Amino acid sequence: MEKHEQIRLFKDRAEAVQTSVTDVTGLQQAFLYAIEVTKNQGGSTIAAPALGPEERSQLAELCRHAEITLLTENIRDHIGKIQTGLTLGDWGVAETATLVLDSTSEDVRIATMLSETHVAVLPKSRIKSDIMELESELSESMKSAPRYLSFISGASRTADIERVLTIGVHGPQELHLLILDEELTGEKP
Amino acid sequence: MITTPSDLKTYKKDLKRALQNQFLGATLDNFATAFKASRQKAFEGIDLDTLIAEIAAGKDAAIPHLEELFAAFKARAEAAGIKVHVAHTAFEANSIIADIARANQVKKIIKGKSMTAEETFLNDHLEKDGFVVTETDLGEWIIQLRHEGPSHMVMPAIHLSRKEVAELFTKVTGRHQDPDDIDGMVKVARKELRQVFLEADMGITGANFAIAETGTIGLITNEGNGRLVTTLPRVHVALVGFDKLVPDLKSALRILKALPRNATGQLISTYVTWITGPTPCTSAPDGRKEMHIVFLDNGRLALARDPLFAEALRCIRCGACANVCPIYKLVGGHNYGHVYIGAIGLILTYFYHGRENARAIVKACLNCQACKAVCPTGIDLPYLIKGVYRTILEVEGKPPVKNRLLKRVLGNRKLFHFLLHRAYLAQKPIAKGQYLRHLPFFFSKEHGFRSLPAVARTPLRDMWERINPRLEKPRYRVALFGGCLVDFVYPEQAQALISALKDHNVQLEYPMEQTCCGLPAMMMGENETAREVAVQNLKAIDPASYDFVLTLCASCGSHLKENYSKLCGEDEGIGVKVRQLKDKLIDFSSFMMNVLQVKPEMFVRSGKKVAYHAPCHLCRGLGVTREPRELINTAGKEYLPAKDEDVCCGFGGSFSIDFPEISAELLKRKLDNFEATGADLLVTDCPGCVLQLRGGMDQKSGRKIEVKHIAEIVAADRS
Repeated sequence: MEKHEQIRLFKDRAEAVQTSVTDVTGLQQAFLYAIEVTKNQGGSTIAAPALGPEERSQLAELCRHAEITLLTENIRDHIGKIQTGLTLGDWGVAETATLVLDSTSEDVRIATMLSETHVAVLPKSRIKSDIMELESELSESMKSAPRYLSFISGASRTADIERVLTIGVHGPQELHLLILDEELTGEKP
Repeated sequence: MITTPSDLKTYKKDLKRALQNQFLGATLDNFATAFKASRQKAFEGIDLDTLIAEIAAGKDAAIPHLEELFAAFKARAEAAGIKVHVAHTAFEANSIIADIARANQVKKIIKGKSMTAEETFLNDHLEKDGFVVTETDLGEWIIQLRHEGPSHMVMPAIHLSRKEVAELFTKVTGRHQDPDDIDGMVKVARKELRQVFLEADMGITGANFAIAETGTIGLITNEGNGRLVTTLPRVHVALVGFDKLVPDLKSALRILKALPRNATGQLISTYVTWITGPTPCTSAPDGRKEMHIVFLDNGRLALARDPLFAEALRCIRCGACANVCPIYKLVGGHNYGHVYIGAIGLILTYFYHGRENARAIVKACLNCQACKAVCPTGIDLPYLIKGVYRTILEVEGKPPVKNRLLKRVLGNRKLFHFLLHRAYLAQKPIAKGQYLRHLPFFFSKEHGFRSLPAVARTPLRDMWERINPRLEKPRYRVALFGGCLVDFVYPEQAQALISALKDHNVQLEYPMEQTCCGLPAMMMGENETAREVAVQNLKAIDPASYDFVLTLCASCGSHLKENYSKLCGEDEGIGVKVRQLKDKLIDFSSFMMNVLQVKPEMFVRSGKKVAYHAPCHLCRGLGVTREPRELINTAGKEYLPAKDEDVCCGFGGSFSIDFPEISAELLKRKLDNFEATGADLLVTDCPGCVLQLRGGMDQKSGRKIEVKHIAEIVAADRS
């Protein structure tokens, strides 16, 4: 499958599970997107526990300007106050619009489960057509314990009352994926 | 507490009550329709038959080696810091988990959805030991609050209406809940359970996979509660059946391709979580989670060695066998299983929860093959259900009178056919025209929902030489397998066949030593008799002497094709004939369309509007779906599709005698669907379905549509 077909499939499948997909050209744009989503929802806190030092300071700077509280560690202490969980995804799978996220860090799990919105940045080059293409990489990473891998495909949902699809039963009520075109920017998260 | 009736009388009372539950009937019917469409869409672009075959082969390769897989898993998991336990029984599993809780000074426990924990009645055990246990999957939480068991493996609360949930939540929150605000009720659960998550000391989950190669467990959820249960508390215990062991991630991913699609019509469930080893946990004293995995045997390891029933361990708990079951659709999971429900539930109940719980429910199978056709691991569910029924009969050693009679009569062709000849005379006082106008004494008034046909004055075998022309140089030599209904009740269907084949130069033969196909014997758990008549038929009809063996009865056909190989396919000498029969067996429509290749110009265009009932044993048993519909159009009629035309008519042979209420309701729905098409004629290709549909038409009020075997309409309008 050609890259552009893969991306088109990814977007189609994402739409079917209410995942919002947006193209971004750099991390700066992704961070501004997360800040805007947070503000639009009336929130004031972003939890982004798994960033490198450079990205963290870049985001911290943007948050300060926007008067958003940025949490980068001890996320458990802030449960109930996290509007947005911001992560950098490991892989994407077009066939099911899946975000593969290494969630071994407890902070990452809490940030992506006990927030109202999960925003994840996904580099275009990391998107595969089918999960089977990731079999050996995932299997290898499982061999180094502890390892907690998550496939996330959409927002938390249930149909347990009269089979009516309802979004946001336990986890985030929205999932936003930002597809980062590194070829355009030369950036590599 | 779950109670399941152990005798048929009580069970039938429960079924009657369930049939009156209009909400349940409508909900499950809508669900079945929606499921069929969403499943089909979800599998678009996937070669489903190949996927099923691969999953089945993978499971079959793993099942004999569960203990080795376990040893490999254990070594990996322990190296990663997980404590691995084996529980031989349900009680042992519950005790191990309670001990872990005590050792860690646990008070509050949260749970993710786990059928295995339902199997062991884990919550009851833990609550008796003084722990506070809260289910966190919304459906499980609802039924926990109502003190019920799940009525579906994937959607545990599907039997409840929004009104019932609103009443429950009003009680729980002390605030009025609007039944039409489902979003609001889901938010109630979000709010109430959030606090419970934060306070819990221990989380319990099941697992969909235990990967031997890496010591990893895989969990599939939609709500995300699985991620929370495994993240927030300081202790995590996973209760896992031995059957969840797979060798590697590849095997797990292959199952993952099929499971959500087959369960809910989703391409993938929202959250799939793979955990290898105890992860960091800030609520644990040493910053690292305490993690245990309890592997449950409870009969699984012995089941894995059973030559027939090991296949049941392929099950991946998608629940689809319930979704498509015509009986489940009418009565719901609480009346169609014990803890495990649906077709697989009828089987597993016997092994995991005992004979008392399985005895009555295992009888409630139409053998319609809908479950088998939808199973993502290719389990022959109807065959295993009959196997459980037979096992229980054998263990209890008191077969019903009808079984003893059947054994005597069916085992002796001459006696059987003598009795059928006599039946014509015996029925005289109660027969009028083509029907019996009074039911024989062994029927009750509940059987009056359909008229029973009278036995024909002259059976097919007695008129055969007179009506069947001899040909000089035929193109094909074809043996007709009549089956009891065509031979003794509807010989006119065979007469129609002869006339449909006129001008096609096909020499038909009717080997006189043939007898009942044996399906009724198998349905009653009498495999020995079924085997005897199979051998009798293979002696009567040597497939090597004919180009084709044709049957007008889909049930006989699918029994000959599928079950003969199971009954005597391995027998010396006979096995080859079974194989040959399988290769030469053909139904009427396929013979006309594919072999004779009939064309529209061979027929007068009557333009009659024809609805079609697809017999279970034709469309699923023999896999024939295209030919009958094409034949209707080719033969100058107009085929009109009907809702659920491939759902069982409710006949099921002796099923309709044991469960007349269910049979009547299925028939009623069928006839309503056919009436809605506006057809002039209803056509099918199985004399059993003709019996049921025609008998029901005769009893119903309002417009009656004529019911015919497809051979009859093809014969009628030849040009």
